[in-house]
Amino acid sequence: MKVRITENLDIDLTKVMWCCHNCSQAIIDARENYKKGLLIAERQLEEVHPSLVSGQKFSFTHDQKYCRLIEFYCPNCGIMVENEYLPPGHPLTHDIELDIDALNAKHGV
Amino acid sequence: MSAKTYDRDHEVVQRLRPEPMTPEEAAAQGAIADIDFEIFCHKMQMITHEGKETTMKLGASTAMRAGDIAFGIFTAQGDLSICATGIYHHAVLGQIPIKYIVKHWLNESAVSVNDGDSFFYNDPFYGGVHAADMGLAIPVFYDGRLICFVGAAVHTGECGGSEPGGFVQNAKSKYDEGLIAPPIKVGENYTLREDILNMFAAMNRDPRAMILDIKARLAAARIAQRRILEVVEEQGVEFFVGSLRRVLKVTSEAARRKVSLLNDGVYRQPRFLDMIGTEAGLVKINLAVIKKGDRLTLDLTGSSPMMGGKPMNCFFQGIIGLAMVYFCGWFFNDLPANNGLLEAVDWKFPDDSFINAHGDTSTSLAPVVQVCFSLGMFLCGAKMVYSSNPDRASAPWYMGFGCPIYAGRNQHGEPVADVTPEVNGGGGGALSDHDGADVAGAWFATLSDCTDVEITETDRPILYLSRNLFSGSVGHGKYRGGAGVGIAMMVHHVPELAMGAFGSGAHFPMTLGLFGGYAVPPTFIQVVQGSNMDQLMHDNKEPLPRNLTEVYDAANPERGERAFEDVNMLVRPLHNGDTYYMSVGGGGGYGDAIQRDPEAVLRDLKFGRITAWAAQNIYHVVYDAEALRLDEAATQSRRQEVLEARKKIGRPYDEFMADWQKLSPPNDITQYYGAYPYPEKGVAPQPMTLAATM
Repeated sequence: MKVRITENLDIDLTKVMWCCHNCSQAIIDARENYKKGLLIAERQLEEVHPSLVSGQKFSFTHDQKYCRLIEFYCPNCGIMVENEYLPPGHPLTHDIELDIDALNAKHGV
Repeated sequence: MSAKTYDRDHEVVQRLRPEPMTPEEAAAQGAIADIDFEIFCHKMQMITHEGKETTMKLGASTAMRAGDIAFGIFTAQGDLSICATGIYHHAVLGQIPIKYIVKHWLNESAVSVNDGDSFFYNDPFYGGVHAADMGLAIPVFYDGRLICFVGAAVHTGECGGSEPGGFVQNAKSKYDEGLIAPPIKVGENYTLREDILNMFAAMNRDPRAMILDIKARLAAARIAQRRILEVVEEQGVEFFVGSLRRVLKVTSEAARRKVSLLNDGVYRQPRFLDMIGTEAGLVKINLAVIKKGDRLTLDLTGSSPMMGGKPMNCFFQGIIGLAMVYFCGWFFNDLPANNGLLEAVDWKFPDDSFINAHGDTSTSLAPVVQVCFSLGMFLCGAKMVYSSNPDRASAPWYMGFGCPIYAGRNQHGEPVADVTPEVNGGGGGALSDHDGADVAGAWFATLSDCTDVEITETDRPILYLSRNLFSGSVGHGKYRGGAGVGIAMMVHHVPELAMGAFGSGAHFPMTLGLFGGYAVPPTFIQVVQGSNMDQLMHDNKEPLPRNLTEVYDAANPERGERAFEDVNMLVRPLHNGDTYYMSVGGGGGYGDAIQRDPEAVLRDLKFGRITAWAAQNIYHVVYDAEALRLDEAATQSRRQEVLEARKKIGRPYDEFMADWQKLSPPNDITQYYGAYPYPEKGVAPQPMTLAATM
């Protein structure tokens, strides 16, 4: 039995696994941070937020001294499951840590 | 004074949740029929809406005219019961000054609370935000019995700080912030005390607006008082008092029931501010929302320390107030907006943190801190609700402010000091099945708007060169955020005008996306001093920029001394004809942009919501650039290539982390952060700011 958790993620309660909603690929144990089961890449900020102005103190690109863009992809289909804007080297966020026992109980598993 | 001290009252600010039901309120419950209660609720809601509209129509400052108003009916103990607003933090925080009045002045013979009294307040310690947020409340009596309070809280554009416009970026302590008034009686016998108004006026750069705003609040409250007494006359005082309290009771019960439907767990979202006043710097708000059973706990342990001598701090109650903006507007959107909702919420703040300020510390830029926190609430909330109610999972609305400040003499020779209304021109966040609304408003003031430019031009010495949707403002995604506005202004008809701005997000994004949606681009300010724009308009010979995109185009013929400034720009004199440009950001994106309907991308391109660059490089759509005709097969093929490329550039977690964790920001931007990356492991908090003022 699968329960939809986000736009891009399900939890398979039977297998206790995070799964990609787009392609059903099993990602990692549902008690883990799902990001540990995804492919991770740092993108250059200009690739997503072009500056529009050049040679100035400020532009429409964020400052990479402050901020980096990290993208998380499904290892099977390549869909971007999530992204994070973080200062350089800041730990990745364990953003959803569900009580799996409570989730099972809620769904009668 | 009952507190026997003139120090701050730390007890009353803890009383954010409803007071216990009084014996009179409890006794009335059995006689209130459900249908009568429903009619009562509707009637009270209409009274508060009328109060909000009246305040808007009569007020003078920008925010009041734009509708940034919380107009509420409070119980006799001070709890907010009924409220008309989209600016929910004032609604929930507005009860603290009322509780202060009840606690300190009700039985204080030198002050007392009587029929016909008016009380004013703007001390941010009780209002929760900053000194520019001012309120006025009146007690309502029936047959000599205090039955409720009515009041309005609104941002007035100027509060007499050491910088104009209500935001003091150089503030070293609260003593730089101007007027700070705990609840004070300003009127008796339905008449405002002119001597007190005169004192307020003497402390303010824009006395006309401040005094008119006070009178507007009182006029609206008086109308509401009359309407309330009509209901009491008709239904009886016990019914009124009992029903007002019942609203809180049913709200609390419904809130807990609604929370209980969410999945138990912990939802986290660290937030980063890139500005600490006049200087850039990185600080962290560490938010974890713990959901268990029918309760939510907001845990902010691990946030950066208090910044002594800087204005980028806030009181804990302001954080709770801003959490309520999310709760009232999005999560508990179908419940009454009152502090009964807080029966489902607990909180945990670290001592000596910049989100739990104490002492004489300045909180002049608290609104920036609070909206930064709010984005965390938005994202944690979306991740909590998606599983049970995906329709309510919204990417964040624009949260960076981006608010021009001005002060000087207007074209009629009158003093003015305020902000322009474009802070209410941000884009709405994208949702699970549609794009965010363009120029949706300020997320914290959703019933307000950015008014017509002509209204601003009427009595402000500003000429708008353009104000329209900015194609570079949206957060991209499967569903994109709504566009915000780009504004181009010129100082007009006066020799000079001081201008600045406040906000955040020039370095680190204030508005993030959701579920793979992208953040909103930075905002910043461009100023051109000695601009030839006035001459260009006079000559009318060459095309002039019609929007912000064209302002940044190489073909823009404007010449002058061009400067790019942080969105938190310290006020400075500009002169007649100088120009000022700023974008107010759009909403955050939702989902992977590669999944966006290609036809929707071309529609966006046609209607100026996105750029051709974004269509090609973010959405990976292949099309005929002239006819905007989609090449479906080529687009599908192109997108498949991108998906395959991601699998090549993406690395497994351990491999990625091996390199990632070697990185850190430069030391010069983390001096206020605490230990990086975990602030709580850092140095002891800085000394209290009183020392900085001596």
